[in-house]
Amino acid sequence: MNQTLSVLDPTSEDRSPEIQLSERIKGIEGSTIGLLDISKPRGDVFLNQLEKRLTEHGATVLRFMKPTFTKPAPVDLRYEISSKCDAVIEALAD
Amino acid sequence: MAKHADGYELKDGISVVVNSECPTCQLTSDLLVELGTNGHVEIFSQDDPSFPTSAEWVHDDSELSFSWHNDVEAVPTLIRVVNGKEVERLAGWNRKEWERLLEMENLAPDLIDHKPGCGSLSVSPDRVDELEIKFGGRTFISRQVAIASLEDEMEAMHDRGWSDGLPVVPPTEARVNRMLAGTSRNSDDIVAIIPPNLAECSVEKVAINAVMAGCLPEYLPVVIACLEAICTDEFNMHGVLATTMGVGPIFIVSGPITERLGMNSGINVLGHGNRANSTIGRAVQLVLKNVGGGAPGGIDRATLGHMGKQGFCFAEAPSPWENLAEGFGFSSEQNTVTAFTGEGPRILVDQKSRNPESLARSLADGLRSTISTRMVLGMDAMLVISPEHLSRFTDAGWSRSQFIEKMTELLMVDTDEIIEGAGGIEDGIPSAFGGNQLPKFRPGGLLVVHAGGPAGLFSAIIGGWLNGAKGSDPVTKEITL
Amino acid sequence: MHDISNLEKEGLPGVFVASGPFIDAAETQSKAVGIDVSRIFVDHPIQDRTDEEMIALADSAFDDLVKALTQ
Repeated sequence: MNQTLSVLDPTSEDRSPEIQLSERIKGIEGSTIGLLDISKPRGDVFLNQLEKRLTEHGATVLRFMKPTFTKPAPVDLRYEISSKCDAVIEALAD
Repeated sequence: MAKHADGYELKDGISVVVNSECPTCQLTSDLLVELGTNGHVEIFSQDDPSFPTSAEWVHDDSELSFSWHNDVEAVPTLIRVVNGKEVERLAGWNRKEWERLLEMENLAPDLIDHKPGCGSLSVSPDRVDELEIKFGGRTFISRQVAIASLEDEMEAMHDRGWSDGLPVVPPTEARVNRMLAGTSRNSDDIVAIIPPNLAECSVEKVAINAVMAGCLPEYLPVVIACLEAICTDEFNMHGVLATTMGVGPIFIVSGPITERLGMNSGINVLGHGNRANSTIGRAVQLVLKNVGGGAPGGIDRATLGHMGKQGFCFAEAPSPWENLAEGFGFSSEQNTVTAFTGEGPRILVDQKSRNPESLARSLADGLRSTISTRMVLGMDAMLVISPEHLSRFTDAGWSRSQFIEKMTELLMVDTDEIIEGAGGIEDGIPSAFGGNQLPKFRPGGLLVVHAGGPAGLFSAIIGGWLNGAKGSDPVTKEITL
Repeated sequence: MHDISNLEKEGLPGVFVASGPFIDAAETQSKAVGIDVSRIFVDHPIQDRTDEEMIALADSAFDDLVKALTQ
């Protein structure tokens, strides 16, 4: 399970085989940014300030909360975030 | 002190290959120590260089180089070499045989007389692929991609955009190595230039995608021939990809190879369920997408498409008539694949015609509306005629050319019926062509293939795309093993 | 981190914020999931900070967060 598997590239190798990050947004202004709270204490204070700053820059901010910090966010929460937002910031892990 | 068995050359004398886990090797270990100490044998130890003892004449073969290169299949194996050549070998313990080979008497009198050996580590299923890659001289030209430790290996294929929507088999070196054994061609031979990106495609790249599709190694030559057929100017794969009409390449395999590969030419022939049929077509589509860059949503903007674009390949069944490849100038003994651009199959029912004339008329009726009733000459079509329907003609003594002649006659279209505006339909051919008769298909434009299950009075029509210089023409290629 | 990597695979650009000691773990996890997720680190500790200090931390990270989402 923890062994790395090596495979041969089936493509013409004209681009990197690594999983690509999604395309970035053009700018904050006019975008809808989701703030995902991982549900650790004091994270809300941090996110509140981010919301303030983002809104000042012209973004619409939506707030989301994980049910628990111990597990990855469930798929319906992820679907909600990705269908409503252009980008997401998750905080705050310590 | 054990010496590393770097080389695998056989030296004159007697070499013995052992491993410490084998009970027969353990049984004979004292005898082997005695023989080695007295200079009668050199020992090659597959897993423990101090077995049967640490000595100058015990060589470390943990890399299995000596064992692999000398085709050692069992342990203990004794090999007698004279003047650099192997003259005899024995496997297992057998006193009389060992005495004969060693030219000695009274060996280990307190041991049982004989005991079979065990499998050599060099033929162990979990080592075979690694050794073949290491010693067999296989080098890969494609880049290696590491799948991260927490990635699920199947999801990793999807995440990198390598799948056609269905799961694909991860193409490890071992799997690709096995696949490449299915062809005698060199792995760096270029098979075709794949549109739309016009990327060079090596035999190795085909093998990688064939692994992903789920092919067996023996299917690889067919996949290669399919790609050779479609990457021609006549077939015009680029055009086939780019059209909104949603057609795709269809592969019909002919010749003795179809039976050898267990391909389906019978029940459910145009459907699913047969590994060769399903995976050969799929491998071609994966190459188009992964090597050529031709993915749906990209260059492929088909309005509707059809499920056969996942992969569409079947075998034609022998019949009293000449087969499809023979029609293109090949012999029935040759293994070929014919590529035809087409839509999904459409069923044509006629459960009542006994008379061949009658059945010909009903088939023509169905064929007249292929692609559009308003279209003539510009598109080819394939008729997949089932055994029961075919027998209506062959029982009455019709040859294939008679059938084609009859169909051509029945498929003459009155142009007044198909000009723009005729019957209240705006679509149609220019009105200047009115008052004429035109054939539905160009000469040779109706391809007839025999396939299907033994019961069922149905045939199938597969409409084609544009033919000729602006479209795609069928191409047949011989399959080289 | 897994949330952001999952969301990235689902087509949404993202970034996550963690405190300093998490840097190495994040590096390892990023390699393990196979995506080089965007990540910003702020000073540790978090738990016993006053509200004013948390607000300042957010302000200090803001520019980097914007960069991570737009560039």
